Amino acid sequence: MARRAAPRVYFLLMVAVLRFLLAVFLATSYQATPHAQESFEQIAKKAQEARTSDHLSDAIALYAQAVRLRPSWTAGWWSLGSLLYDQDRFSEAQDAFAHFVKLSSRPGPGYAFLALCEYENRDYGGALEHFQVWSKYGSPGNDALLDVAGFHWALLLTREGRFNEALYLLAAKAQKLGGTSAIVEAMGLASLRMKNLPENYPVERREEVWLTGKSAFYSTAREPRRASEYADKLLAHYSSEPNVHYFRGTLLEFQKEYAAAEKEFEQELSLNPQNDAAMVELSLVKIEDFQAPEAKPLAQRAVALEPRNARAHYALGRAMLETRSLPEGASELEVARQLAPESSVIRFSLAKAYEALGRKSDAQQEYAVFRKLEEKENASARPPQRGISQKASEGSKP
Amino acid sequence: MLPVNGTLAQALHNPTTEQKGKTARVIPKFDELSAAAARARDENRDDEAIRLYQQALAVRPAWPEGLWYLSTLYYERERYADARDVLRRFLTTDSTAGPGWALLGMSEFQTHEYPRSLDHLERAMSLGLGDRKEMAQSVFYFVGALRTRFERYDDSMTFLMSMVKSGSPIDLLVEPIGLSALRMPLLPAEIPADRREMIRMAGQGALALEAQNRTEAERLFSEMAKSFPNEIGVHFLYGAFLLDVRPGDGIAEMKRELQISPFNTTARLRLAEQYLKDQKMDQALPLAEEAVKLEPDHPPAHMMLGEILVAKEDLAGGIRELELAEKGAPQMVRIRWDLLRAYTTVGRKDDAQREKEEIEKLNRPGNGQ
Repeated sequence: MARRAAPRVYFLLMVAVLRFLLAVFLATSYQATPHAQESFEQIAKKAQEARTSDHLSDAIALYAQAVRLRPSWTAGWWSLGSLLYDQDRFSEAQDAFAHFVKLSSRPGPGYAFLALCEYENRDYGGALEHFQVWSKYGSPGNDALLDVAGFHWALLLTREGRFNEALYLLAAKAQKLGGTSAIVEAMGLASLRMKNLPENYPVERREEVWLTGKSAFYSTAREPRRASEYADKLLAHYSSEPNVHYFRGTLLEFQKEYAAAEKEFEQELSLNPQNDAAMVELSLVKIEDFQAPEAKPLAQRAVALEPRNARAHYALGRAMLETRSLPEGASELEVARQLAPESSVIRFSLAKAYEALGRKSDAQQEYAVFRKLEEKENASARPPQRGISQKASEGSKP
Repeated sequence: MLPVNGTLAQALHNPTTEQKGKTARVIPKFDELSAAAARARDENRDDEAIRLYQQALAVRPAWPEGLWYLSTLYYERERYADARDVLRRFLTTDSTAGPGWALLGMSEFQTHEYPRSLDHLERAMSLGLGDRKEMAQSVFYFVGALRTRFERYDDSMTFLMSMVKSGSPIDLLVEPIGLSALRMPLLPAEIPADRREMIRMAGQGALALEAQNRTEAERLFSEMAKSFPNEIGVHFLYGAFLLDVRPGDGIAEMKRELQISPFNTTARLRLAEQYLKDQKMDQALPLAEEAVKLEPDHPPAHMMLGEILVAKEDLAGGIRELELAEKGAPQMVRIRWDLLRAYTTVGRKDDAQREKEEIEKLNRPGNGQ
């Protein structure tokens, strides 16, 4: 009997030991883990307490538990996402914010956080899309969120090749925050038209990007002499690199030094004959410098190279207007408007074209839209569409 | 069955699992996995150790030891993004772990996330790294290099020189010191090939100066200025050296620097300081005023202007500038000394006393002065 009893005793002992171990484990290793019988309300309360008392690991575990018990708890997803985001745990935070924006009746700021997480998780397409959604909600959020989100959105626009829009956003940040290293670097990349993020461009281009960024920053800060100092250093070392002369040209163009700007754009085109951005700017400079007949073929080439480039159609439209090809000019500007309906300068030029054609009602309508858009551009954190406006240009080549 | 996704708590609290008596099987499984992972790690079977730690962490996601070892394995295998992600989880469980922040910052350095990297490496330094000397050396190197990249040149130079004093390998520090001395915001890996020699000369010259070898320092700086006469920072560096040796030559070099980079605030301030020393107030004052205009938020510019105004007996103006400087840089003892003297001169005894107390506080060991 004793031999038979032994296994039973042993088994009971083991069960007791395991129960004890389990109890110890639950009490020590995972103190924040709620008991099965605990209600959602109790867990949520504990989560909030853990958060308030800065027990972040516990708070994260408790919020995660609470939203599993009640997946419709919007505030829980928000808190969980925020905690994870603050810990740079972007993958998990992204999931939480994705739930939040689906469930919330006021998801606006959640889209900015979702986009920021996606950026960190290298889902750049998703991030860009969600920054746009955030913008549709009016870019809600506190100053810190506006700064971080606007900055990252600008980085993504640069990566997409939407350089003027990026520079528009960055110029606004620079005016507010000054020439921080991050802003300077981002402005450098966009000004050189490099489709790169700060963390993934070639190391050998760092100095070139920095010099360009410094120059762009001082342009934005309306200090043209300091801007020129950095641009001169840039040219001294990197004059054969792509878009360096283009950048110098945009600086000069902004300072209304059209003859010097022309030379820079021409130099760029001699190095990179297919550079449509240089063609467009050279064309616009020539228009400003009363050389519209010479501007026209350049704009036509740019349109042929980049048929969906609104600024190229805008340049061609203006060149045509200046050469008295009014109906053709208006048509080009209409194409530009179609590609960038929220560009105030296109609306303004189109209004002038309609006026010249005697289409008074159309002109009035365009002027009205122009005024609205200009107001909006001044007030919004959002970049103007396609960055074609003069404001956008001021960001890149003040 | 081992729960792959979700916490152990989830598994334990799943009533179905409990009813079937499966909870008891989970704990030994975790123990087995963690022990096997440790064994594999000890025996340098890294791939297997990584797999086992991953499995153990799937059971117990907040297991600090597992997170730590998994991150170190990833780091050693140069899987920096993976190391970074695991370390972020690890640090949620223990935000006071200096080595954790260090490894995170080093991983972020490798993934080129430089702002975060510097932030986390500096946090690691403030928390301490225990007796991990090799890790500390790496952290210091990265911090010095990154401070330069973020244009914190004075911070980086002080820091890099303290590394030299504490015996860090000098060869490694030549380029970071050269970059900092020339005020070029680049990492050593980002140095343009056509100027590596210039940067090395600057670094070697600064190191020679630190070692009190003035002859060698002058040889290197003058050669650098001759070989690279049009580069930013070259004449400033040579000039700063000469101001201590032959002030007239130093002034000439500083002026050359200002011809090359007319907006160089640091050169302007150094020149103003020299003129102040020479009692040439009329030459010192416009330089300091220009510096303030160029960099209105730069405390040393306000300090210099304040010192010059006080020397010109414009005490009210001087105090105003010094107070602005103090507001921007409350840790700078020199500004407080300036204010102490100025307050004493105008009979503001309480203010002078307050400055005196602040100076004493700042001079106490551990205050970073």
